[in-house]
Amino acid sequence: MANPRGRERRILRLLSVPMALLALSCVYPVYFAVNNALKTNRNYIMDRFGLVTDLTFDNFVQAWTRSNLDTYFVNSVLVTGGAVLLLLLVSSLAGFALALLRFPARRLVFVVILASLMIPVQVVLVPFYQTIIGLGLLNTRIGLILSYTAFFLPFSVYLMTAFYAGLPRELMEAARIDGARLLQVWWFVMLPMGRPALITLGILNTLYCWNDVLISLLVLQDKRTMMVGIAALRGEYTTNVPLLAAGIVLAAAPIVVLYLVFQRQIVAGIATGAVKG
Amino acid sequence: MADLILNDVRKSFGSTDVIRGVDLTIEPGEFVVFVGPSGCGKSTLLRMIAGLEEVTSGTVTIAGTDVTEAEPYDRGIAMVFQSYALYPHMTVAENMGFALRLARVPVPERRRAVEEAARILQIEPLLDRKPAQLSGGQRQRVAIGRAIVRKPRVFLFDEPLSNLDAELRVQTRIEIARLHAALGATMIYVTHDQTEAMTLADRIVVLRGGVVEQVGRPTDLYDDPDNAFVAGFIGSPRMNLLPARATGPQSLRLGTLDLTLPQLESRLTAGQALTLGVRPEHLQDAGQRIEMTVDVVEQLGSTAFVHGALGPDLPLVVEARGSRPAMGDRITIALDPARLYLFDNDGQRLR
Repeated sequence: MANPRGRERRILRLLSVPMALLALSCVYPVYFAVNNALKTNRNYIMDRFGLVTDLTFDNFVQAWTRSNLDTYFVNSVLVTGGAVLLLLLVSSLAGFALALLRFPARRLVFVVILASLMIPVQVVLVPFYQTIIGLGLLNTRIGLILSYTAFFLPFSVYLMTAFYAGLPRELMEAARIDGARLLQVWWFVMLPMGRPALITLGILNTLYCWNDVLISLLVLQDKRTMMVGIAALRGEYTTNVPLLAAGIVLAAAPIVVLYLVFQRQIVAGIATGAVKG
Repeated sequence: MADLILNDVRKSFGSTDVIRGVDLTIEPGEFVVFVGPSGCGKSTLLRMIAGLEEVTSGTVTIAGTDVTEAEPYDRGIAMVFQSYALYPHMTVAENMGFALRLARVPVPERRRAVEEAARILQIEPLLDRKPAQLSGGQRQRVAIGRAIVRKPRVFLFDEPLSNLDAELRVQTRIEIARLHAALGATMIYVTHDQTEAMTLADRIVVLRGGVVEQVGRPTDLYDDPDNAFVAGFIGSPRMNLLPARATGPQSLRLGTLDLTLPQLESRLTAGQALTLGVRPEHLQDAGQRIEMTVDVVEQLGSTAFVHGALGPDLPLVVEARGSRPAMGDRITIALDPARLYLFDNDGQRLR
């Protein structure tokens, strides 16, 4: 009989083939975008898949200034930042209440929030758009911030509730006896204790808001966020692919930086979610 | 003035009655222990005093103020939880000073109070650590320290020793007794361990099924239990409780043995079902002698607990001081009528 160690190693070696393919399929688009962003348009047309021969940074400059990506970038940062802060604030308050406080219809509220998790954005687009118009929030950044908050809130509340439900109730009771009012319990105990879950949520929501096209396209008409701006770089008849690639690289950069900074928490957070969720 | 008065306090969760009418008065400086089997409502009663559970009916009065509806922090109490419930993200000093911080006590004063409590509990070197860096015993001290800092009128302890190992439990028990003597504060302590109750309490409250079975000093409960439940619960090993039947106003039959109880004031009716109680430590002195075969011996060195039977369904535990019987030996035991406890069919004591 083969010894189990050797068997295990063989299985691992076999597994590395599909893993390598998977990794390649993730890396290739990145390579494609970076490589072509550095080509001139002529270079791209002559050789789409080859390595860059005619190195230029002109595409970045052009995308950033002439295609207004600079103002779109600011819009994206403001909207994403505002929405993520609001999401964290509301979901940690709601999670605290749903997990640890007793109030009438608590279960019902939680079930309704869970149910709204199942509704895709596309289904409610029309009533959503009418609501935005009705509230006079069309074409405002606040409107988009509120929209993101509304759409991503159910998942955030669900995650925070699950996280807080895993904490011992006695922590809250100890704080109550120590003299904390409800909001103080949240601020001094629950918010700091929720840190791992809040970091995970912050990263996920940043990703969702930053990468969103659909909601942004509806709410903001001429202000535009980064992703909508990039989508608009495609021409009706021809597309300047190197310019588009440069825009994509510029848009992806903040997310990549975010990932590099929080790498460890992201992995830990995914694991937390897997167990607690 | 009494520090704590419970007046016909009741608690129901839906249709389940957990506390079914408790009346209790606790004097300043008293150490009162709530004891009972799990599910008897002792922790619930403590949490009602703390304000963590709502009172369904009745009133809770602390230091002359009706606090039935008051928030926990307005009651002048501090509580030590079984799980310690230390805030994991704060240092020991921050944990202990949290209540004062919320009360907006100035920093220097706060630090003084924390250092004072840390000195009493000998945890000064730990003040800058986080709870995760402490051992179980150290965490327990910090939890007690957090209570001390608040200078409460009443300390509440909810099974504070059950997460500690046996040795540390005895040590901490002694420290809590010492702390009570040093602070002179009123303390209410919940436990299911009758040894803890006996050693710590000025008075013990025995609870069962949400009802107070008996309140009294530890020795009173041991010497003079009101009912079979208290008799069986207090004392270790527990009192032998044997079924018997009355044969006359002052006489009864236990298995094949006829006993007379000349000092019994209540009159028995012949044929009445009774429970006869006798403590293992009271079976060696004077009285009516019987022989018993030794079944099992629990040897503790200084003493031994001998398990045997007086007849079918009449198991008996005897404490054998001095002698060291072995399995299968015949030993002679003595039933002293003055040391026998008699209970009626409902478990009530017949004196």
